[in-house]
Amino acid sequence: MTEDQAGAVFGALADPMRRRLLTAISEHPSTATELATAFPISRQAVAKHLNSLSEAGLLDREKAGRDVRYHVTPAPLSSAVTWMAEVGGQWDGRLARLAGALSEPGAGQRGEMPR
Amino acid sequence: MTDLIERELSLPASVADVWRAITDPQWLSGWLADDVELELLPGGEASFTIGDEVRTGWVEEVSAPAADRDGGTGCLAFWWARDDEPASRVELVITETSDARTRLRVVETRPLEILDLVGVPLGGHGSTRFGPALVAA
Repeated sequence: MTEDQAGAVFGALADPMRRRLLTAISEHPSTATELATAFPISRQAVAKHLNSLSEAGLLDREKAGRDVRYHVTPAPLSSAVTWMAEVGGQWDGRLARLAGALSEPGAGQRGEMPR
Repeated sequence: MTDLIERELSLPASVADVWRAITDPQWLSGWLADDVELELLPGGEASFTIGDEVRTGWVEEVSAPAADRDGGTGCLAFWWARDDEPASRVELVITETSDARTRLRVVETRPLEILDLVGVPLGGHGSTRFGPALVAA
């Protein structure tokens, strides 16, 4: 998984309605039409949310006659997402410290890094 | 599948100064971790203390920047792992830029499946080594 993919997952899960839809689908694979009946939003709005969740790799599509039924992807996304959020955050901190130390006047002339 | 983190930034220092900052354990102990020990040669042992966490690892590649070669590019690659976690590979590449600054590119990857495939024990202290054979594989 790349950081972009992890970003897509975070983006998809940032919306409370998408989280509710995902929870509903995890309990019972559903079509957009079924979800539109169960939730106070239009079928079109449901379809848009399902599209975001699918693009983030959180949902799989399965043909159901003229409709499409959505399932939650069984792939263990969580470990990759957690790793990337944690490790990415650590590097942001480290690189900020490095940039700060190298920006200090005369930093290059000293053999030792200022603590 | 490989999990990957990538960062790039421009630093206000010469390529020689940045090389020291990313290879001298004293400098590394100021930004990478609280305490860093690192044998600066391929296959060299490394340890990184971050708070009460200790990571062990080894150095894969050391390529110091030289003005007469590669236009002032240097590379340090090492592996590190927490006690009971999969090892990941860190690659730091520095390149001199025309504005008297130095670009640093960091890539950390966690090639889980490769490790599983070649039967390398994941992570661990002391006895566990994830040697150069892995990289060739």
